Amino acid sequence: MREELAAAIREALEDGAAAAVFLTGEDGTAEPRVARDPSDAAIEKVATGDERYPMAGFVMMLSPLLEGGIAVAGRECDRRMFVELAKHGQVDPDRIRFIGIPCSQELADACGCDHPCPPDSIVACAAGPAQARLVEEATSEDAAERFAFWMDSFSRCIKCMGCRNVCPMCYCKECALDNLELVGPESAPPDIPIFHLIRAVDMADHCVDCGMCEAICPAEIPLRSLYRQAREVVKEAFGYEPGVNPDEKSPIEKLGEVSDLAGMEEGFRTT
Amino acid sequence: MTNETIEDTTEKPAEVADDDVRILAFLCNWCSYAGADLAGVSRMQYPPNVRDIRVMCTGTISPYFVLKAFQEGIDGVLIAGCHIGDCHYGKGNYATAKRFRVLEDLLTSIGVDPRRIRLEWVSAAEGAKFQQVITDFTEQVRQAGRSPLGRKGGGQA
Repeated sequence: MREELAAAIREALEDGAAAAVFLTGEDGTAEPRVARDPSDAAIEKVATGDERYPMAGFVMMLSPLLEGGIAVAGRECDRRMFVELAKHGQVDPDRIRFIGIPCSQELADACGCDHPCPPDSIVACAAGPAQARLVEEATSEDAAERFAFWMDSFSRCIKCMGCRNVCPMCYCKECALDNLELVGPESAPPDIPIFHLIRAVDMADHCVDCGMCEAICPAEIPLRSLYRQAREVVKEAFGYEPGVNPDEKSPIEKLGEVSDLAGMEEGFRTT
Repeated sequence: MTNETIEDTTEKPAEVADDDVRILAFLCNWCSYAGADLAGVSRMQYPPNVRDIRVMCTGTISPYFVLKAFQEGIDGVLIAGCHIGDCHYGKGNYATAKRFRVLEDLLTSIGVDPRRIRLEWVSAAEGAKFQQVITDFTEQVRQAGRSPLGRKGGGQA
């Protein structure tokens, strides 16, 4: 796959893309690189293993510094990040040329990912969708058990802000987690559960389920399960899934029509 | 509205027993606050556990405010606004209804008792409904008990 990927990156640069963004290195030690010249030796070292990186966040930071098109080699979750960021005006989709890397079956299984194949994958994608799971404790029938599990998980938090900083959807210049009125500044373990629930509320209609937050969390808080639950809430209530349809706006971000409220609760009937 | 308002409002009313529940109500200026006023001038009795915050529209209520109230040790949060179609800003309460649905389901999925949070439409003419809502909701939150969410809390989920 490395040859095809390197060729696709070179081709994009020759076609007039101002820069190409990709990961280099061996499995587990990948780093993001920017190449501006098709003869750049780094292109030959493009990573093809199971390493992951929030490419869209990187490109979002980079794009104001560059002019012209940017070719990005990424996975399906990266592509969804671009779809979602473009909806919010954070990247210009016309500038992005996406080179899709298929995930391996092992990676799809490890991520519990139901979308391992980008639609325009450079080589045939062999991986089948895996079941998106929650951690077992989060699925307990007993609400008190679930609550105790989450409070116990949250209490391990060291407020490193890694989940927010790695998250491609966390592009706000002013973050509610930095608001001293909402989250008290006085303790390193943050106020729980508000610290984690603020993020969960926002992730409900933004999260593309890339799982970088959980991968980076030093306290091993099962954040992916938390945000999957939040995503599920929005999917169930409004049939909306972030990162899928570039033309569909989040139902929570628009006022919408009264028909959007139909069936939500009896009390919402208009008379 | 600032968060200081929420903190000020989480103080226990003097007439509420120490182990009784405390409830925060966000009332929309145009309908529910007027409905509460009507209940008041009509001398309708309802439990004293509720402290209210008047907002111009329920559509201005961020889910963060509700989370903040719980974090401050509030046991139940009521949001009351104009009926759908009656919003004085047109569609403000559409936003409320959708945000509320997400917040309620999210809190439920992590194991918070859904009886702690409620959305009601109370018009300016519905003083009696306001009395009924407060009475019902206070009883409902009492059944859920003191909230375990806040740092000042303690009790059952």
